[in-house]
Amino acid sequence: MDKFLNLLVAGTALGSIYALVALGFVVVFKSTGTINFAHGGFVLLGAYLTYNYSVTWDLPFIVAMLMAMATMAILAVILERLVLRKLVGQPAFTVIMVTLGLLILIQQVQQSIWSTEVLLDDPWGTDQWELGGVVITQVRFFTVLFAAIVVLGFFLFFRFSAWGVAMRAAAIDQEAALAQGISVARVFAISWAIAGVVAVVAGVMLGADSASVNSTLSFSALRAFPAMILGGLDSPLGAIVGGVVIGVTEVMTTGYIEPNAEWLGQGFHSVMPFVVMIAILVLKPTGLFGSRAVERV
Amino acid sequence: MSLLEVREISLSFGGVRAISDVTFDVEAGELFAVIGPNGAGKTSIFNCLNGVYEPRGSIKLEGLELTGLPPSKIASLGIARTFQNLALFSNLDVISNLMLGRHHLMKTGFIAGALWVGRAKREEIVHRRRCEEIVELLELTPYRRQPIGTLPYGIQKRIELGRALAMDPKVLLLDEPVAGMNLEETEGMARYILDIRDELGVAMVLVEHDMHFVMDLADRLLVLEFGQVIAVGTPEQIANDPNVIRAYLGEAS
Amino acid sequence: MATDDTALRLLPTRFSRVSIGLVVAVGVLVPFVVSGDFWMTVLVSAGIFAMGAVGLNVLTGFTGQVSLGHAFFLGCGAYTAAYLGAARGWPLPLWLLAAGVIGGVIGGIVGPFALRLKGNYLVVVTLGLVFIGIHIFENWDRVTGGTNGTSTSQAELSLGFTDFRSFSIPGKDFSELQGLYYLVWILAGLFVLVSANIVRSRPGRALQAVRDRDVAAEVVGISLPRYKIGAFVISSSMAAMAGAMLGVQQQFVGPTSWNIFLSIQYVAIIIVGGVGMVSGAVLGALFLGPLPEIVEKYSDKLPFLYEVKGEGGIVSIAAFNEMLFGALLIVFLLFEPRGLAALWLRAKARFRTARSTP
Repeated sequence: MDKFLNLLVAGTALGSIYALVALGFVVVFKSTGTINFAHGGFVLLGAYLTYNYSVTWDLPFIVAMLMAMATMAILAVILERLVLRKLVGQPAFTVIMVTLGLLILIQQVQQSIWSTEVLLDDPWGTDQWELGGVVITQVRFFTVLFAAIVVLGFFLFFRFSAWGVAMRAAAIDQEAALAQGISVARVFAISWAIAGVVAVVAGVMLGADSASVNSTLSFSALRAFPAMILGGLDSPLGAIVGGVVIGVTEVMTTGYIEPNAEWLGQGFHSVMPFVVMIAILVLKPTGLFGSRAVERV
Repeated sequence: MSLLEVREISLSFGGVRAISDVTFDVEAGELFAVIGPNGAGKTSIFNCLNGVYEPRGSIKLEGLELTGLPPSKIASLGIARTFQNLALFSNLDVISNLMLGRHHLMKTGFIAGALWVGRAKREEIVHRRRCEEIVELLELTPYRRQPIGTLPYGIQKRIELGRALAMDPKVLLLDEPVAGMNLEETEGMARYILDIRDELGVAMVLVEHDMHFVMDLADRLLVLEFGQVIAVGTPEQIANDPNVIRAYLGEAS
Repeated sequence: MATDDTALRLLPTRFSRVSIGLVVAVGVLVPFVVSGDFWMTVLVSAGIFAMGAVGLNVLTGFTGQVSLGHAFFLGCGAYTAAYLGAARGWPLPLWLLAAGVIGGVIGGIVGPFALRLKGNYLVVVTLGLVFIGIHIFENWDRVTGGTNGTSTSQAELSLGFTDFRSFSIPGKDFSELQGLYYLVWILAGLFVLVSANIVRSRPGRALQAVRDRDVAAEVVGISLPRYKIGAFVISSSMAAMAGAMLGVQQQFVGPTSWNIFLSIQYVAIIIVGGVGMVSGAVLGALFLGPLPEIVEKYSDKLPFLYEVKGEGGIVSIAAFNEMLFGALLIVFLLFEPRGLAALWLRAKARFRTARSTP
């Protein structure tokens, strides 16, 4: 039982990272209708910017993270403006490929500026608490806490702010939103900015989870796709639930399946999310919370 | 036995009945029109006839049951159609679009195609010749090598008719063939439709809401209202049918 | 009435016949002129890229199915070459064919996903395939050698009396690289011929119809399962054979080479070359394939590049190369989405009008 609870805690922490990454994918998908692969690069840059501000410039960690968020929001809006805006009305294929191109560019820019692997110097402390046999490390505690704060902030924004309402309207029907005087262009920009902000938290947490910030983070971020698919591509709530489910599944795989099925190979847990994803896509392509209108056959 | 026998087909979407208990026959060589106001279920009937939707009831072509078969199978059994909003393959030229109509009549598979020499080439020549005949019949010669996307709307409508014709169909379904056309183009299309019936003897089912166009053209008409048949008969019978006058003509005038 | 038979020809004009003839002649003569290992390596890589890109073009360019899974199929082929060609000593035609068959069969298993999933979803599934593929390559030790990888240097490379590792004609001995050059480009030429033939006949028209408008395709009698899966089979079979040759060229096959970046490289090649044009895949391979090696060779001429961090310069060579791929992908999609092949067609048209108007 202790083992199960410990794995559950670890899985929830991992899952909240996936949830954050998936949220960034979903926000952009919802407003623009395409998967933004460059988001993997946002996650990567977010982590390195935080490192730069907090370790290199020696600023307080929270300040560094806020500054990284501001930087990423601006950068995301600039990219949207300069590149993606030009592709409105183009086939999904074109847009996806352009975001892939951006992903590669961002990755290499990162590698040119910073050395491959850096440490964030454990700003959250290395202590751990024990609650009746369940060990909760500070990293995990803060991961879940930060994720919860971001998600809460997102939903409050989405629900109550004028721009959040505009985003929801534009997601339902762009033409009708235009007729209501909502600037769809502004909605696009804001959704990219949000993705940039969320990516910073996700990047920092992903770096904490793998003990260092390194250039493979962008590919780790792509492992949040299964969470997004499970949630249904265009549902923010789905991204959160999907993230946690996938995170727990992955950790449970490590704990229960791998020791009993060695033929599955070492590190099977890291591909388990994709196996789950393919099963979901075959059985229920719209995911748990996805809208019917999302392209199917 | 009629060429096409439609018996009590019904179709609903999420509890809403699109068509209910529609029954009609189409004879060989006949020009049969389905008319009715927008949303009466005309296009839904077409989608049932060529297998895009699967209705309850029975649809038989030369006695063979079609319901439940996939669209590609129904096409190869001899039902061709054109679409209300064009559905051409816009990156391909006119001849290739027509050749795609002959797809089900050809046999070349991936391997034969890859090798080209032999059957693939012979087959290509034979079927290309037939497509050239259709190009001439529909006076498309000036456009034959051009990609479809760049051609005017009226020409594209004609190419789509050509593609359906290239299928050597037993029944040709035309979904609003003159929608969006000017008077001259409409008359041209009417002429092509009559040519097809007279020269090739293909049975045609025509969906249209341009009343005058079908009254002049069709041998028999079926009038739909809210997915139900309210009258079937010759143009004269339809013009004098009280139900039709109430539902359709009355409304229009 | 003239059914013009010239329209049926692969090369309808004299201009096209002459230019293709010239290209082939130059291709045959290259090893007589170029003997340096560097340029031969570059051309062998380009040939392998061309093989794989022609395959991807069948799927993405002609059938409109976007896949990021190409790296996985390349990997399957490379391991087949290592396992059957090097470890078991099968002869060249057999292991190469086996790679094609294995790639095709796996493509046939993945293909049905394209029936249920479109666009974004298919991209994500094929991406997942790459992650799962690397996991299998890392763990199926008996066949793949696990994380240590496996060698292909023993793979048989002879066909009849010709051993491509060292063959000679009267008056000329060819190096192993030169032999590989011929082998790879003969295969690339065959792939081009096969895909060009498919495209101009019934199955290829059907693929393009599925790409342009799948519902209408079904209504004219085209079976979507048959052609979508067929495109996957052909494409992954060609990819696997390209992967087999890549394995042989590199003499070693390791699990991490078959990653997303490799898939993206192939997508970039067909986009830069010209999506949906057979010649596009080859042009793209010739242009993008050798780029990394050329940049590396001339890096001392480019002051912003460095080999080892700290020796001046802003970007490492490897990083710059990947950046080039990303940047070219974006630039072409934004400004010339039909790629180099379209540029060439336009230049040709201009040449013609210039000649006909004195």
